[in-house]
Amino acid sequence: QTHLICCFSPNNRQGKLRLQKWFTPLPERERKKIVRDMTTLVLARKPRTCNFLHWKDLKIVYKRYASLYFCCALEEQENELLALEILHRYVELLDKYFGNVCELDIIFNFEKAYFILDEFLMGGEVQETSKQSIANSIEASDMLQETMEEYMSKPAF
Amino acid sequence: MSPSVRLQELIRVIRSARTQCEERGVIQRECAAIREQFRQNDNGGRSHNLAKLLYVHMLGYPAHFGQMECVRLIASPRYSEKRIGYLGAMMLLDEKQDASLLITNSIKNDLSHSSQYVQSLALCTLACMGSAEMCRDLAPEIERLLKASNSYIKKKATLCAVHIIRKVPELGEMFTPSAHSLLSEKNHGVLHGAVVLITELCERNTQTLDNFRKAVPELVQIMKGLVMSGYSPEHNVAGISDPFLQVRILRLLRILGRNNDRASDAMNDLLAQVATNTDSTKTAGSAVLYETVLTVMDIRSESGLRVLAVNILGRFLLNNDRNIRYISMTSLLKIVQTDHNAVQRHRGTIVDCLKDQDASVQRRALELSLALVSSVNIRSLMKELLLFLSTCPPELRAHAASGIFIAAEKYAPSQRWHIDTILHVLTTAGSDVRDETVPNLIQLITSASELHCYTVHKLYRALVTDISQQPLVQVACWCIGEYGDLLLKGDCEETEPVQVTEDDVLDALETVLQSHMSSPATRAFALTATMKLSTRITENVDRIRSIVSIYGSCIDVELQQRAVEYNALFRKYDHMRAAVLERMPVIDKGQTNGEMSANNIKDLEQTDVKIPEVPLPSNQLCLEVCDLLDLLGGSEEPLQPSQAPPSSVPTPSSTGTGQDLLDLLGGVCPAPVPVVTGVTVYEKNGLTVTLQCDQRTETSVTVSLLASNSTDSDITSFSLQAAVPKSVQLQMKAPSGDVVPAHGAGQVTQTVILMNPNKVNLKMRVRVSYSSQGSFCQDTAQIDSFPTTAWS
Repeated sequence: QTHLICCFSPNNRQGKLRLQKWFTPLPERERKKIVRDMTTLVLARKPRTCNFLHWKDLKIVYKRYASLYFCCALEEQENELLALEILHRYVELLDKYFGNVCELDIIFNFEKAYFILDEFLMGGEVQETSKQSIANSIEASDMLQETMEEYMSKPAF
Repeated sequence: MSPSVRLQELIRVIRSARTQCEERGVIQRECAAIREQFRQNDNGGRSHNLAKLLYVHMLGYPAHFGQMECVRLIASPRYSEKRIGYLGAMMLLDEKQDASLLITNSIKNDLSHSSQYVQSLALCTLACMGSAEMCRDLAPEIERLLKASNSYIKKKATLCAVHIIRKVPELGEMFTPSAHSLLSEKNHGVLHGAVVLITELCERNTQTLDNFRKAVPELVQIMKGLVMSGYSPEHNVAGISDPFLQVRILRLLRILGRNNDRASDAMNDLLAQVATNTDSTKTAGSAVLYETVLTVMDIRSESGLRVLAVNILGRFLLNNDRNIRYISMTSLLKIVQTDHNAVQRHRGTIVDCLKDQDASVQRRALELSLALVSSVNIRSLMKELLLFLSTCPPELRAHAASGIFIAAEKYAPSQRWHIDTILHVLTTAGSDVRDETVPNLIQLITSASELHCYTVHKLYRALVTDISQQPLVQVACWCIGEYGDLLLKGDCEETEPVQVTEDDVLDALETVLQSHMSSPATRAFALTATMKLSTRITENVDRIRSIVSIYGSCIDVELQQRAVEYNALFRKYDHMRAAVLERMPVIDKGQTNGEMSANNIKDLEQTDVKIPEVPLPSNQLCLEVCDLLDLLGGSEEPLQPSQAPPSSVPTPSSTGTGQDLLDLLGGVCPAPVPVVTGVTVYEKNGLTVTLQCDQRTETSVTVSLLASNSTDSDITSFSLQAAVPKSVQLQMKAPSGDVVPAHGAGQVTQTVILMNPNKVNLKMRVRVSYSSQGSFCQDTAQIDSFPTTAWS
């Protein structure tokens, strides 16, 4: 089970958070601390090291895509190589949705990034393994939102 | 201004803030406005406001006042408001907040909504932050949805069920019946969810696990379908058909096959097929292969399959991708004990990984290499390890050094090799070795008597080159002090001859004494070595005398005390000097576990008198390493210098000052050898004294000494005296008598209580005095060990 998936850009040594999804209940303060520690650790990694690191009793898997680091924290017995594939799949989904996704897309449309994530993962597990299926669901949800807005004759969100 | 622009406008404004302070100001103003609008129940802008709040929350600012707004929005009939409301709930609410309970009803309603996208929101939120109570409430709903006809909902309901079981394990029973039937679904999303659900159920309930074993053939079929199927664009990742699903199925098979022959047999062929057919050029394939290997190693697989799995790991080691090399080594580490030979085949590649640039790969390569050391490969492997030691990152040095020592001790092909190896480590990484290295090495050196000359030459050379590595300097000083005469003699077959004069040697020692790099312990070694040389050199004794007297006023109390005592040895006790500074006997090694320690093992097996009987160069009085035994304190009466008749058993001489001077090897204390209770500690002239352990606690031991007599006549005036290390307290109860009857007719027993509050290595020296057949005997026996369980 994945406990956390997050995305941040390097900013000095601590990183600026662009997205974080927790799958385990923890108090707010502890969440902040964990994310802070994790991002510091990942940003401190030298080039040409592998994408995995151990932290406390968790495995951290991270991958850098242009100016963004995508990162997840796993249980000890999870398959790290598959976690890399999961991160990659998520980036692909974002890319498909936004068309050549860049960091600004995720900043200004963060809620969409979450909606997409919620179609891909659930409770820390992979929910759907077909890219197309997820894309279809998101499209349909977006249309539903617009349709209802039109129906209520209120401006679109 | 259109609302959506307002959110994006806010983001733009925040990003353009030049300082943290400015940003904080913008956000505080905005939050105040949002708070106000929440209070006013502004219908139009609610979702936009919440979205803004969520953004601000992500930046790290407090947003708890938005919690109730989430609750309100979730209850709204509008999809857009529900969508952001549920997102807000997942971000701001967790099961600890009271507000989370308030959304339970909304979730319940939405689970039955006509739009599947609304149902999806509810399911997702429940699976993300549902508390145990919410889960209990809504479990029946989820179970109903599991059987729904819509695969979109089914897959989500399945994962929601997984969450429920994680929170409330007892509810597993509710979902077990549906779980199995889900395996016949065609939709990959549902299938994946089903596998996850079954895995969760099996991990929590062994009965369920037994039950689901009958699903193994079905799972095997599904896997086969995935592996053998042609290209399926919908699920293809780098040539692998749905690696996510494959990995989950493999993991489930692992759980089902563990400890069960039948299930393991049923999946054997499939695993072989996956292992051979999966293309591992990309990560997706490697992920599947990795999971396969883990499964093979964990179930009861055939040996052929296991070898296949290890070979896959070996192939991974050669992969260009660093990640794959890393996980390969992690896996090899896990199996190196159980499948040692299979892993040995890949030793070459593993050793190559010692040169990898990634420190975590190097660390694993080091651990693996150390695990693979054997008597066959020790020489070649040690070369690589020593090379690694000189180039490895500093954080790995201590680990490498101690690993090398352990390996060397276990498999050293010769004593000389062993000494060379340790010296090499001390020169390369001397500051990173553990404290007990010094006494261990000294013990090793003393036991290799043929190599004394070679060793002292080598150490002298090392000392002259570099005095910064403390452990090396300490050992070198000790050796020079001990074997200085061999050094001065000049010729040594094993190394090039070098002319060393007495002045050279004393210079070297004085340099150590005066250097600011030398630690206090090192200086103590050097001073004592200098003193010892006074009996091994001929010309420069005066120089030694003056060195020693200078240090009599040294600031360091330890050095000062030694110097004063050595001074006394020069003046008042000069007649004893030669005896006191005699060559040391071979030190008893506690734990021995290598071929080369065979001599010591023989010594230990003789349970007679425990004083090692080693031929010494000039043998008048043999002095034990006695710093641990305070013969002045502890025992009933001080042991006087023995006037025992010359016997084959050398007895220690002990005087007051003698004991203090023999504080030569600060830390040398051989570990106790595991001994069974009822051990014979003395056996001579028909008298047998055995030690029996009556009672032991963490800090005290009660023993009984039993004396029996097998001769024809009684043994009279029998008495025992005992001495123990300084921090231990001794209490001897009255003996049962002082006559040991003949023919083993009776025993004399005496109880001794040892109090060991500091939990030091326990030793006891016992002096036996008795009259037998007209002559008076007095012997000493050393007990180096008490039953090991005393201190476990």
